[in-house]
Amino acid sequence: MQKILTGNESAAWGAMCAMAQVVSAYPITPQTTIIEELANLVAKGMLKAEFIKVESEHSAMAGCIGAQAAGARTFTATSAQGLALMHEMLHWAALGRLPVVMANVNRAMAPGWSIWTDQNDSLAQRDTGWLQYYCESNQEVLDTVIQAYKVAEAVDLPVMLVLDAFFLSHTYEAVDIPGQERTLGYLPPYKPSIYLDVNEPHAFGGIVPQDVYMEFRYKMQLAMDQALEEADKADEEFNRMFGRGYGLIERYHSDDAETILVTAGTATSTARVVIDDLRARGRSVGLLKIRLFRPFPAQLVREALAGCRRVAVLDRNICVGMGGIFAQEIRSALYHQPPERRPHIHGYIVGLGGRDIIPEVIEQIADDAEKRTVDDGRMIWIGLKD
Amino acid sequence: MEALPHLKNFTEVAEREIMTSGHVACPGCGAALAMRLALKTLGRDTILVIPACCWAVIDGPFPYSAAGVPVFQVAFETAAISAGAIRYGLDATGKKGINVVAWAGDGGTFDIGFGQLSAAAERNDDIIYVCYDNEAYMNTGIQRSSATPWGAWTTTTPGADFKRERKKNLLEIMAAHRIPYGATTTVAYPDDLVRKFRRAMSVEGFRLIHIFSPCPPGHKALEKDSILESRYAVESRVFPLYEVEDGTHYTLSMDPPKRPVDDYLNLQGRFRHLTDEQRAYIQQTVDEEWARLMHRMKVGEAIGG
Amino acid sequence: MPLMAASLGDMTVNKTGSWRNVEPHHVEQVAPCASHCPAGNDVVMFVTLAAEGRYEDAWRVLAATTPFPGTCGRVCPHPCESECNRTQLGGAVNIHSIERFLGDKFRNSPPEMPKASHTHKRIAVVGSGPAGLSCAYQLALAGHGVTVFEAHPQPGGMLRVGIPDYRLPSEVLDAEIARITDLGVEIITDTRVGVDVQFGKLMDKFDAVFVAVGFTSSRPLGAEGDEGDGVLPGIEVLRRINLGLPDEVGDQPLVVGGGNTAMDAARSMLRRGKKVSVMYRRTRHEMPAIAEEIEELLTEGIEITFLATPVEVLREDGRVTGVRCIRMELGEPDESGRRRPVPVEDSEYTIECNSVITAIGETSDLSFLPDEIKAKTSWNIPADELGRTFEPKLFAGGDVADGAGTVTAAIGYGRKAAAAIDAHLTGRELPTDAATSPSLRDRTDHVVPFEELNTAYFEDKPRFEPESQPVDERIKSFDEVRGSYSEEELLAEARRCFSCGSCPACDNCFIFCPDAAITHVKGDPFKLYIVDTEYCKGCGICAAECPRACIVMKAVR
Repeated sequence: MQKILTGNESAAWGAMCAMAQVVSAYPITPQTTIIEELANLVAKGMLKAEFIKVESEHSAMAGCIGAQAAGARTFTATSAQGLALMHEMLHWAALGRLPVVMANVNRAMAPGWSIWTDQNDSLAQRDTGWLQYYCESNQEVLDTVIQAYKVAEAVDLPVMLVLDAFFLSHTYEAVDIPGQERTLGYLPPYKPSIYLDVNEPHAFGGIVPQDVYMEFRYKMQLAMDQALEEADKADEEFNRMFGRGYGLIERYHSDDAETILVTAGTATSTARVVIDDLRARGRSVGLLKIRLFRPFPAQLVREALAGCRRVAVLDRNICVGMGGIFAQEIRSALYHQPPERRPHIHGYIVGLGGRDIIPEVIEQIADDAEKRTVDDGRMIWIGLKD
Repeated sequence: MEALPHLKNFTEVAEREIMTSGHVACPGCGAALAMRLALKTLGRDTILVIPACCWAVIDGPFPYSAAGVPVFQVAFETAAISAGAIRYGLDATGKKGINVVAWAGDGGTFDIGFGQLSAAAERNDDIIYVCYDNEAYMNTGIQRSSATPWGAWTTTTPGADFKRERKKNLLEIMAAHRIPYGATTTVAYPDDLVRKFRRAMSVEGFRLIHIFSPCPPGHKALEKDSILESRYAVESRVFPLYEVEDGTHYTLSMDPPKRPVDDYLNLQGRFRHLTDEQRAYIQQTVDEEWARLMHRMKVGEAIGG
Repeated sequence: MPLMAASLGDMTVNKTGSWRNVEPHHVEQVAPCASHCPAGNDVVMFVTLAAEGRYEDAWRVLAATTPFPGTCGRVCPHPCESECNRTQLGGAVNIHSIERFLGDKFRNSPPEMPKASHTHKRIAVVGSGPAGLSCAYQLALAGHGVTVFEAHPQPGGMLRVGIPDYRLPSEVLDAEIARITDLGVEIITDTRVGVDVQFGKLMDKFDAVFVAVGFTSSRPLGAEGDEGDGVLPGIEVLRRINLGLPDEVGDQPLVVGGGNTAMDAARSMLRRGKKVSVMYRRTRHEMPAIAEEIEELLTEGIEITFLATPVEVLREDGRVTGVRCIRMELGEPDESGRRRPVPVEDSEYTIECNSVITAIGETSDLSFLPDEIKAKTSWNIPADELGRTFEPKLFAGGDVADGAGTVTAAIGYGRKAAAAIDAHLTGRELPTDAATSPSLRDRTDHVVPFEELNTAYFEDKPRFEPESQPVDERIKSFDEVRGSYSEEELLAEARRCFSCGSCPACDNCFIFCPDAAITHVKGDPFKLYIVDTEYCKGCGICAAECPRACIVMKAVR
């Protein structure tokens, strides 16, 4: 079935196909239409789920955690301040090994109030132990919701999928909807190995003495390692069943490129156009899309960047005091590579607070990168006004 | 002769033991006893939700638990929503006949979890919310909470800076949410406690049980006096025992001969510094609160609540 | 190891017992009633059983220590009640009325008592008063053959001839004595030892002899003219009345004395239509009579002249016409602790009367004893608390040994002497505590004071008195004055008992333990609780909330 859906509606329909059993959510612009659509789907009986109308995002996530611990598949969505308010509970879900799936609509943090996109909200949650997917299209949003459950439940870790405010959340595209029955063939019902069961009582989350805490963290790391394989398998299997796959990263005209741009989210689509254009003009440029950010697909990134001379990372985020976060991650991934497989890495700060990343901006970055002969590690701000 | 005479003071307490020995509550802990009595009543088909509070420790460190039923330890402020969510999760997965019980201290209830408590009450989430109230942040070392009574010493209201604010009236706040059932109880009256849990189990929707729970180290009282303190709290009317249905219909559980509030204060070192005038003020506030409670009961009767 | 911090076992691995430095011990302590019962009745036990409606069990507890529940329930001065901790919360438990109820309930169809097999030992008991019959009863239960010698035509001693029917109806006494003879005790009446049968013969023929002849002689008035007609000992007057003989007292007698004999004599005279009054040399406070008896006497309209004593019995032609008295005042305490009466100079006065009944004390008559034995006696036969004397086979008890002067003391003495005789004859071990019934819990000898009780568990309910006959009715006859409890009243009163020091399995310790460290012992009716020392943290709540001081906290070694 095809429908014309916004990115937000696609997230909701993804949760519907995955037959989420409990939705726990609180409204925030630009996420609101996700939960409105879910409320509609529940009201129409198309999604048989309990919808907990909570009083805050903190409770939204606590609600997912509680319901998930009781053995239900859960879904929620938020954005920016809401995600920040959830922070404590993000750790809780991850350390509690609860495979909650959440859509986060990327929005800049206040103050002053901004409802427009950037990645600082989700990247600030990088270290909470959640998987993170960055989506480029509405179809990818819907498909990633379904894949997210597959991966999350395989490794007992929660998954956040991220979509850009307005550029995706409120933009319509034709979306193919696999429906619940077909999805069930891909994603079986949630069957946790351990949950709140009165017939086999366990206490979850009690005090952990100093001599065992590290082991739980290590198990999370092992799960994240496994998640790389599971995510890859999940995408391949999805591709086999539904004819669509995204990879954990995507290499676009990058195999022979001297300069490779790196993007995540909707900037990727714009960058594709720019690459096509520059290639037509004979420039040796390519593109690397980072879809899975956590766990970071370091080996794939290394391979993708091994042959180029320089990398230009478009960071729609800023780790103030250090630079763009994707750039740091890529530098870190390539640090131990031999010099011939270690290109210069230039980090560009761009498009914060919803500022549009238009083709001219991307071209400007490509131009700038090509001119640079030294890898000095400095952050480069694009389009700053006086 | 086949047996000695049996003269029971309390007849409602079940023989079955669900909570195990070996928990790490301090000697004489009212909260440990409250849990033991509650679980005897609730039975094994119960899921406990415990936020940060003494019971988060009492239950025992990984990989052990004293509760004997599933326990979900949750973030400090999330007892109400977590319990509510577990109910939604059970409903969504078709599991019936399970008591979902939030078991929180006064800090998690009166303070940090207050918003989420209110929300769960407003949603009428189908849970039993228990606040075992020891009137301060005991687990962190006796800091004042909004459940700490006027006049009490705590580590954050030391010396001459004893607490100058009155305690929130939790059940009245929750009654104002029109919850189906709310009650106060305390460990000195096991039958009362058991009956209120039983009553709560028979009601659907949001139920609140507020348990006054003596804390020997936090109240600077003798371990052996926990029950006495609990009894004096009721007899002095510092903590009246009553029930509220649908926020309007009040039932006083007992009305023992009135004891001067001094008897209650004198058991506890946290009140030792108070002057006669200050004690008289406490007596006055207790009398006022009692008068208000009596008034609400009358109004409830008059409107046929 | 699980993925997350999920428990895999319970906390019983954590032995919190190591935390404590004091620990609770369930004990049985002594209730003040029991410690003050000269008969040694297990008061708490029979009262609490009665409170449960388990009347036969309660009766059996009583029957273990006394053959006379119906009698004692009427005539005992009940020191148990004087010491009762309930006194401070609504008044002492009406123990004697409960005992009386139980005695009466089984009076005509007493449950059978287990009796030991026959030992073929024979014991002579001299005197069928409460000491003698109590001893005979216990010996019979222990399987011995007992023959009791009684000088009067009917058995019972002072119970028979010293206490009027309005206090102790003869059918009550008859029934309780019948239960003793039904056990095989032979009572030979109308047989005065020393006259009808020689004491030496008893010593020869029997394996042991128990002398319990009581006090049979009245002390003389010590006033001028106190010899001759018209001056009679109170016990003699009571004997005549009880045996249905003419009293030989004039229509205006003066009773001198403040004890029970004085009270009984005065009230009996009133019932015979005489204008009687009483004179006592001290004040009401010092009167040795049972308080209720004094109260009833006054209620019946008999006047007591306090602080006066006769100095001369006035006579005309040998007939008593009055008494010259002297006023007294109280001086320093004497050896009895009571303030000694001292005559007030120039305070003599005269009152009219035509008989004087003396009731200022009694003593024993040991003239029946052979000289060689009598030589070793004084006012009494010296005996230890188990009745053992200077002769191995001679035992003595009751007033003739200790002069205690109460029925209940005599019963206790008789029972203890029986135990000593049994031990002497059979070589069986003497019970270490002959005064108490067996118990399987740890016992202490600590008498529980009121302060150690937790009165939160007891209602402030007033003591209930059974109804008495109206005064104007009762003074017309020797019908019993005091009424009995109805069953409902009995239960209400028995339930007032604190059962100090006795655990009736109230479950407080079990219920209030925050550590679930006190458990019920399954299948053991006596040791009802066990403290799990692996987990008890020693908080002491169980001891504090024990209503009856049955838990003591002891330091951990």
